[in-house]
Amino acid sequence: MSDMPIARKTTARMPARSVSARLGGGFVYGLLLPLAAAVIYEAAFRAGLVQARLLPPPSRIGETLWKLASSGALTTHVIATLLRVGLGFGLGAIIGVMLGALTGSSTLARRLLDPTLQALRAIPSLAWVPLFILWLGIFEPSKIALIAVGCFFPVYLGVMGAIANVDRKIVEVGRAFRLSRLKLARRVLLPAILPDTVVALRSGLGLGFMFVVAAEIMGASEGLGYLLVDGQQLGKPDQILAAILCFAVLGKAADWLILVATRPLLSWQDSFARSG
Amino acid sequence: MLSLAHLDKVYPNGAHALDDVSLDVGAGEIVALVGGSGCGKTTLLRLVSGLEAPTHGEVRVDGEAISAPHPAVGFVFQEPRLLPWLSVAENIGFGLEHLPAGERRDLVEEALLKVGLAGYGSRWPRELSGGQAQRVSIVRALVTRPKVLLMDEPFSALDALTRATLQDHLIALWEASQPTLLLVTHDVEEAAALADRAVVMQPRPGRVFADIPIALPRPRDRLSSGFVEAKRAVLAALDGSLSQPIGGRTSSDSQAPAGWW
Repeated sequence: MSDMPIARKTTARMPARSVSARLGGGFVYGLLLPLAAAVIYEAAFRAGLVQARLLPPPSRIGETLWKLASSGALTTHVIATLLRVGLGFGLGAIIGVMLGALTGSSTLARRLLDPTLQALRAIPSLAWVPLFILWLGIFEPSKIALIAVGCFFPVYLGVMGAIANVDRKIVEVGRAFRLSRLKLARRVLLPAILPDTVVALRSGLGLGFMFVVAAEIMGASEGLGYLLVDGQQLGKPDQILAAILCFAVLGKAADWLILVATRPLLSWQDSFARSG
Repeated sequence: MLSLAHLDKVYPNGAHALDDVSLDVGAGEIVALVGGSGCGKTTLLRLVSGLEAPTHGEVRVDGEAISAPHPAVGFVFQEPRLLPWLSVAENIGFGLEHLPAGERRDLVEEALLKVGLAGYGSRWPRELSGGQAQRVSIVRALVTRPKVLLMDEPFSALDALTRATLQDHLIALWEASQPTLLLVTHDVEEAAALADRAVVMQPRPGRVFADIPIALPRPRDRLSSGFVEAKRAVLAALDGSLSQPIGGRTSSDSQAPAGWW
């Protein structure tokens, strides 16, 4: 964009301290609650206050994690899961953004497509699983299809709603300056829908992690979901908790990545959350 | 220079906003459109801007018919309508995208200086006060050097003091390039402070009621007897436009007087 040099100057003007405080400082605060809970439970276990057969103490979960990690198995499982989420989310989000943009900007497209898509949305995504397995087989394609379907709907709805909610008055400014349709989309609509689109992508990604577990529980030989099932069948609660912990960390990290990647584009926002 | 010929506007819902409005404005002239609410003054402005099309009649700028937004016509809205994701400088340069970056930057810097916002270029619109934002929106329209500038009650959302300051600002800006200025207002004082002519409109449907010349030298002294006289003349016409029984119309239309505030 030709406006870019000025934009960069603007973001650079933000004091670096406040950025690091928002990333680093918040991070420390966020860790307080889970760490305190872990320490208290560990202490209770050491004092013999709790029965650890079904809920192993943090030290044992850590030990399991370490074993999985040092054998290289954890990396394999994490990569398998991330690959599925990444592909499924990518596919679902791209189609969701495209269809959402289409139905959001064209009344005809909305009348034609939206009722069908809303009806499809009403179907629980897991209901597709048998069909996907019949069509695509038991391996990766059916899993990725399920995740893509799960990610698609929040993204589609979010983008469509964002376009419908763009302030008519701002669009009129673009018209008064004689922007072509393409330039209007690039210089007015796109930045205007960005905040809502980011929210839509985040909820889509959250659902991606939800459906990867479903897909992996139903049949996989690797992945964090497989670790869950394996832990259940072999009676290893520490392995289940280790996998759950991985999901928590990965999900949070992925969400954080979206936030960090889009923050420079959204620093103009004048909203309640920013002032906190 | 700017000529409106027999403009008629009927909205799809049947509302008859304008009825046979004709007006000629000379180059560099400042005309205030004054009238109660529902008299079609905003509609008139939107027709001139090309944002809306008249049902009948036509608008011409230097002989060229206006059917869509035109580079020679700038528009200042009632609200600043700055794009919140662009810095103040980028907002001012919004209509200058076709120029090379260096030239654009110079024009924007010059514009910021002119409205007393030098050094504000890298701020976000949300960091501006209402008066500052409206000043930015005025130079955003002026920086493209339009031959005609249209303003739709640009100061109505501001407090009286800020409004008076901005009116002086506007005249200073206008003097630099002297565009033809068509300004909608419901404020009689504003019309007397700015305009060479006050065109008073009558509602339901909108028509021209009176065309009052205000031949006062600039800068205008708001306490001078000439100024007070001009205000009185516009106010009298405004009262007349609202109480005038409307020929051939039912009396239920005359609820207007209470409404124009």
